[in-house]
Amino acid sequence: MGRVPYWNISYGLLIDLLSLPAMAVFAYGIYGHWQRIKQGKARIGPGMTLDAWKVGPVYLRALLVKGILGSRIYKKPCTGLAHALLFWGMAALSVGTVLVFLNVLFGLAVFSGGFNRWFMGFGLDLAGVAALIGVLFLLARRLFPPERLTLFKTNSAFVPIEAAIVLLIASGFVIEGLRIALKGADPGSFVGNWLASLLVGVGAAPLIHQYLWWLHGLLALSLIAYLPYSPLAHLLLAPVNAGLDIPIPGPKMGVIDFEAFDGEGEEAPCLGVGKMADFSWKNLLDASTCLQCGRCHEVCPAAQTGKSLSPKNVMGTLGDYLQQGKMDDDSLLDSIGSDTIYSCTTCSACMEACPVSVNQPNAILKMRQHLLMERSEIPEIMGQAHRSLEARHHPFIGTGFGPNDWRKGLDVPIYRKDETTYLLWIGCSVSYEERTQNIARSMVRILKSAGVSFGILEENRCTGDPAKQMGNEFLFTEIAGQNIEEFAALGVTKVITMCPHCFNSFTRHYPLLGASFEVVPHAVLLRELIQSKAIKLANSGATICYHDPCYLGRHNDVLADPREVVSSLGQLVEMPRRGCESFCCGGGGGNYWTEEEGTRINQTRAKEAMDTGASLIATACPFCLLMLTDGLKKYTENAMIQDIAELVCNQMEA
Amino acid sequence: MQIVVLTKVVPDYEVPSADFELVEDRAHPRYTRMIGLYDENAVELGVQLKEKLSAELVILSYGVSDDVQFLRKALAMGADKIVLVEGTSDDPYVIAANLKMAVDKMGGADLILAGRQSSDMDRGVVHGLLAGMLDYPFIPQACSAEQADGGWKVAQITETGKRLLKLSGRGVLSITSIPENVPRIPAVKAIFAAKKKPVEKLPEIAAARMNVRELSVRIPKMESVCELLPAEDLEDTARVLLRRLKEERYL
Ligand code: SF4
Ligand code: SF4
Repeated sequence: MGRVPYWNISYGLLIDLLSLPAMAVFAYGIYGHWQRIKQGKARIGPGMTLDAWKVGPVYLRALLVKGILGSRIYKKPCTGLAHALLFWGMAALSVGTVLVFLNVLFGLAVFSGGFNRWFMGFGLDLAGVAALIGVLFLLARRLFPPERLTLFKTNSAFVPIEAAIVLLIASGFVIEGLRIALKGADPGSFVGNWLASLLVGVGAAPLIHQYLWWLHGLLALSLIAYLPYSPLAHLLLAPVNAGLDIPIPGPKMGVIDFEAFDGEGEEAPCLGVGKMADFSWKNLLDASTCLQCGRCHEVCPAAQTGKSLSPKNVMGTLGDYLQQGKMDDDSLLDSIGSDTIYSCTTCSACMEACPVSVNQPNAILKMRQHLLMERSEIPEIMGQAHRSLEARHHPFIGTGFGPNDWRKGLDVPIYRKDETTYLLWIGCSVSYEERTQNIARSMVRILKSAGVSFGILEENRCTGDPAKQMGNEFLFTEIAGQNIEEFAALGVTKVITMCPHCFNSFTRHYPLLGASFEVVPHAVLLRELIQSKAIKLANSGATICYHDPCYLGRHNDVLADPREVVSSLGQLVEMPRRGCESFCCGGGGGNYWTEEEGTRINQTRAKEAMDTGASLIATACPFCLLMLTDGLKKYTENAMIQDIAELVCNQMEA
Repeated sequence: MQIVVLTKVVPDYEVPSADFELVEDRAHPRYTRMIGLYDENAVELGVQLKEKLSAELVILSYGVSDDVQFLRKALAMGADKIVLVEGTSDDPYVIAANLKMAVDKMGGADLILAGRQSSDMDRGVVHGLLAGMLDYPFIPQACSAEQADGGWKVAQITETGKRLLKLSGRGVLSITSIPENVPRIPAVKAIFAAKKKPVEKLPEIAAARMNVRELSVRIPKMESVCELLPAEDLEDTARVLLRRLKEERYL
């Protein structure tokens, strides 16, 4: 005879009735999240067309891969596996419970034949074991936590919840064991059958079974009701956040329409974020979703080198303000701290590490925008660079070079309308620093040798990107506007960049301001020239370690091209932190112009590169080149770092 | 109360010497124009005083009409209006006489601030001359001021320290830079608001020139000889640096 649901239990249906208030409390909790999140403003669009499956505002692939399958959790394999065991185990057990309910209400035949043996018996026991192993691991990790979980804020509510889940699963098994001990074996229920063999002959077994059954049922309902109010809410919020996150890497700052401000004067709306109410709903969803796991803290170059910034702490503070309803409290920026807000290099390593799709740099940069554009606050050296950018359209304070010095003695063509194919964008970073000028010179030699039709602007200036990174969206818009106008007048349709920050600005932000031209980073163009044999290289066989610039690799997914270039020059060597998990050089977010506290980020990264034992270090960003050259001085006097363009130029065969 | 800041628009004062060119003995017009370095410190001090005393802050300049776009930065920093005397003379007497004319038209000023020297000519004489012409006392190298008993308490930077002075009435101060008067970055709303603030343009008056003639202008050739000192032990590096500076007779 098959299993009888609610065997030995009087009024068992009461538990089903009690699930109604439990679900109501659950729904009210979700409503609370919705109420808090919807206080946010509309978010700014991505600025690029996305080739992604989308239903309404939901990106399906991200929802499935990051949200439901939790792809990011597995970056820590043990924790990832424990989460998977617990989540999928509990999911299967929940399905089993629903099936029992359907059996009771509608007589659905789940307790007979192969389905009973393999799913209701074996499958659910296996799910219970998996969930138990998972939750025991997670409980042990909470009791003996790694530092990242306890720094700044501990999510202590996890301990009783995980203990309750252990109790829930264990009681479920004992109930099954007692039932089998009293009624006879269940096909497939290997745990239940084994426990029954231990429980045969226990006095008061029917009574214990009854008590445990009610305890189990009420505990399960309490957990469901409590879920949205507890840290377990991430179970729901993480998929929602993943599905609503625009699936492009980087902070996704968009642009601000300042034309709407003209004529408003002092009445204009607040710029950036000075209080919680200024954030977009996505930022508020991020703050609600963050579960203080500290993975972002572990990869943040600022946090790891003794700066006051910890993305975990920033998100924790935002979460507290949101939870406490401090939407209009303007103490927010002061409680996070201006130094903290300015130490972010915008590298986005935190975003890459976050298992629940939080966009930390977006929140930080919005607060920075407020500090600069509303409160005129900026660290001193960065302020000087900013002033230079404002007055001279380049941020290189105290440079010993004029805008055209980099091309002295070199015949460089000027871009001619309808004649030239590519505009070789010079910008500021390869013209005002002696060390980086060689990148531009090398690139000119390469393009000439490959017979590429290219030219430069008569007068070069910055893209405005440093202004954006420092928080001055207004100045960025002004500089970008001038560039866009000039490009349009010249009929520029294809641009080559040597600086990933320029590339990022051209592709992410300029289109929102009306630009439309193709952009190719020099790493990609060099790879194409090598592949098409437009240039021939002598492979030196030297070991070359490649450092991924954040704005080329993590922000724009250009990872393979520079590696192919390096592999044609010598033997590619990788650092432990590479690709999308690369460690920043420290120069992003305007922090090239800063007086660093604590250990210097560039020295940390330079050491990591040196420790590979490679004879050369290559990169594909002028800022990385400058930062790492400086960082390396602590360890060696050898000039080991070169841009890929310099290496290509040196090893080009005539 | 009315505070006036004398503000001069000059060619970029940080053009690297290797890139610096003269045209008719003046900086090449291709260089970006901006408010002079110390003038910005004076504007900052003016804004701080305006905020504290609810004074009216006027930016007074002698120059060409095109320079108004650069002077607007001072409005965005917090000044209330620009008065521009349109003229092209480089002569300090002519400039001072024209500034005096503008100050007289305003009915005088409770305090006049100016950068300690312009960033193009580096002479530092106009404010002194103006004080003489207005018959106001002049305090050079001031760095801060606060109102006190109908006059001003002024801190002056000397070679060895700071001197506190009391000005019993109106006066002209030349301002030097200190961390407290680093010019603020204008807030964006203030930039928008600055577009609506008034600009008054006055025609130049004829004035006698100073009895000094410029014979020639020369840009020194910059030469850099770099010597790297070992930096393993910073104390040792400092000792070596001191020795080398003495050997080369820089100290
Ligand atoms: S973007 Fe980089 S520097 Fe900024 S908080 Fe994230 S990891 Fe830290
Ligand atoms: S932001 Fe993401 S990675 Fe950082 S603590 Fe929160 S959940 Fe963890």
